[in-house]
Amino acid sequence: MSKIKNKSVLRNILISMLAGIFVIMCLRDSDAQTSQLFRVYSTEVSGKIAETSEAVAAGKKIYEIKCYYCHGIKGDGNGSDAPRLDPKPRNFTRNEYKIRSTGPGVLPTDEDLYRIISSGVEGSAMPFWNTLKPEERWQVIFYIKTFNPEFKNKSDRSEVSLAGGTASSPDSIKRGKKLFKEAKCILCHGEDGRGEGPITTTLKKQWDLQFKARDLTQSWMYKGGNTEGDIFRTITTGLNETPMGSYADYLTDDDRWHLSHYVKSISHDMKTDVVLKSKLLEGNLPKGPDDVAWDTLEAVELPLAGQIVASPRFWTPSANSIRIRSFYNDKNIAFLVEWDDRTNEQSEIYSDAVALQFPTKIPEGLKKPYFAMGDSSKGVELLHWKAYDESVLTVQSSEEDNIETEADGGSEAEDEPDEAESEETADEEQEDELVSEGSAMQEFEGFFSIKEMNAKGFKRLSVQPDASQNSKGKGHWKNGKWQVMITRPLFTRDKKIDVQFEKGKLIPYALAVWDGSNSEIKGQKAISSWYYLTLEMTTPNSVYIYAIVAVIMAICIQFWVVARIRRFPTEIPEE
Amino acid sequence: MAKNKNSYSMIMVIVSVLIVFAIIKVIAPYVFMILLAKDHTMPTPSTLLLWYMVLAVLASLVYVSTSDLKWANFLSFILPAGDDKFKALFQKMMVIAFPLLVGWFVYSGTVPGTASPVELRIQHPTLLQEFEKLENPFANADEATKRKCIEEGKHLYQQNCRPCHGSKADGNGPFANAFRLRPINFTDPGTIATVVENFAFWRIKEGGPGLPAVSTPWDSAMPAWKDVLTDTQIWKIIMGEYVTAGVQSRQREEMEH
Repeated sequence: MSKIKNKSVLRNILISMLAGIFVIMCLRDSDAQTSQLFRVYSTEVSGKIAETSEAVAAGKKIYEIKCYYCHGIKGDGNGSDAPRLDPKPRNFTRNEYKIRSTGPGVLPTDEDLYRIISSGVEGSAMPFWNTLKPEERWQVIFYIKTFNPEFKNKSDRSEVSLAGGTASSPDSIKRGKKLFKEAKCILCHGEDGRGEGPITTTLKKQWDLQFKARDLTQSWMYKGGNTEGDIFRTITTGLNETPMGSYADYLTDDDRWHLSHYVKSISHDMKTDVVLKSKLLEGNLPKGPDDVAWDTLEAVELPLAGQIVASPRFWTPSANSIRIRSFYNDKNIAFLVEWDDRTNEQSEIYSDAVALQFPTKIPEGLKKPYFAMGDSSKGVELLHWKAYDESVLTVQSSEEDNIETEADGGSEAEDEPDEAESEETADEEQEDELVSEGSAMQEFEGFFSIKEMNAKGFKRLSVQPDASQNSKGKGHWKNGKWQVMITRPLFTRDKKIDVQFEKGKLIPYALAVWDGSNSEIKGQKAISSWYYLTLEMTTPNSVYIYAIVAVIMAICIQFWVVARIRRFPTEIPEE
Repeated sequence: MAKNKNSYSMIMVIVSVLIVFAIIKVIAPYVFMILLAKDHTMPTPSTLLLWYMVLAVLASLVYVSTSDLKWANFLSFILPAGDDKFKALFQKMMVIAFPLLVGWFVYSGTVPGTASPVELRIQHPTLLQEFEKLENPFANADEATKRKCIEEGKHLYQQNCRPCHGSKADGNGPFANAFRLRPINFTDPGTIATVVENFAFWRIKEGGPGLPAVSTPWDSAMPAWKDVLTDTQIWKIIMGEYVTAGVQSRQREEMEH
């Protein structure tokens, strides 16, 4: 009997564990998809061979098959593909090597070069050459070294010490944040680490130098790896021929680790979700892009790519990701889009901008308009916000206020209705006026009308007439980040040219971003794929009623079965 | 004694079903992650999980009903527990868990969800007839001309195709992650190695918009290169593309005379 009891105890434990696992799996929400799989910067080095003339010759052959399209036949980074690359390919004739374990100004070790070839460079066109055997990688390395005579010097190319790694902790991060200011990191990387520091803009504006400080919040764009050890190595060795110097003599080892922990803490991974859930709000929508209500929502981040679908194609977009959130109430829907932009400098021609794209009619089946500006049979609607337009309207609005204040009687000047015809071109810029509706003014005070357009392909783009312009927007740039809030009524009267935001539907949406300081205009922009928007619905009471009824029915059936079996027990046949 | 010895068969059935569930739900994703050498777990589709669970339950019921003795022992668990405290405990757990489980399934089945729709597409649709008879104009050229065309094609590939398909044609270019319909990995033997060169020509020339509806052209970011590339350049890109990827195209079947 004791033996049976022990067995039962074990069985009980097993059942409890399985039941717990079952409950956890049922209750746990699925994680958001990680579409950006960061490749780890591998420090492993293997199979080094002797540097002989035969190895160099073999490396030359491989170089002229794999490498010279970007790096050039002379290793100067002027290959045939180089004009379309951002960042530019490495010029092997200079001491431009950035990701190294050697001291500042020192050429990298052979092992450093091996790691770059093996892991590639994130955020650039440099792939991880896992298709080359280690022997082949070493051969290419030996050939690449021939482009720079300084490799022949027997000077010291030893690795600096990267010892003393400590674990991250809140105190360490706090200390690192303080060091981020004291060591003047904010001068290039900016207060929030998005690369918008004053030196970055000065280098570009005054000296036309194209150095761009890393946006430290985007961990998927870190070159040379994004672990704390990788960050520590970069702080210790610096990046040759860039404003990023070495802090080995300026900061102690411990301080550099604190700084690494802080930098790691402000970076985030990209979490993309296919469906954006617009949250239902009772009452008014947020007052602006910096309203605290937006912080209650988790953003969906979408990766972006240059527009390569239609000519002229765009190869070097500035933005590589954008974040979006959404609220709605019984009348309106609001979107908050955020993207990192080092500067908000722009001109009338090249303006920072964002566009939301929806099908004009929600697709019933799987068929959708073409994801880039629709197609001839299915059109799309664009809600197009431009920063320059908003700044102009802000100035106009303040001027109008001044004029009204200066008038003694305070009488309102009558605005003549400007009936602009629908234009078959996007070139003509149209001045939008404030919507005079009182209720709308109260809910979206400080917002300006933004342009609603329809497109059936890149060449068939039309602006909607004034009476159909229902969208409003407001933008805010601070510390290297644009935040733009765009609102629109859920339903409009223009059913043929406007999307209607219905509940319970999966509405495709796509985003596009322009960066004025990168000379982006028209089709020169960063675009995303189709994703889906759905208006979150509160769970109807019928769902709970059904569940309760099901539980009650299950209980009744269960007790009926038990009672029946107990009243008419099955006789165990005698052996 | 014999009665007590066999009275837990119902519990064993339940435990077995739960173990099968755990294997399919939790262990299988990791197993396939290892087998397929992926960076992430491979979740089991919910419909597949449902069918396997149905089979597991049916198999268990078939087993316990293969003889009168087994069936009697199976049902005897529901009889009063008497002095067996563990049996009483298990009976209470069952009585409580079954209605809750039914309620959970009804709730999760009726609560409005927001999953993205399933979008099936045909990767290699039928080649259009107008492209079927095309031939690579350099197929019968001399070796020097071929080598020159391949080299020029590789340059054109690196300039135009590399942003999405990558420098080594593995679909890992800088723009690749932005498109939910990812660029094709040409080094995969199931892609351009399984089609004739005409198919690649069609896809390069007409791009995503040229696809039939079964291949969801509205989601494809493949440009229609006919606006900037000549037919000759497209053929050269095809030659350079195959060499860059390290694969060969499928040869056309011999025509029967």
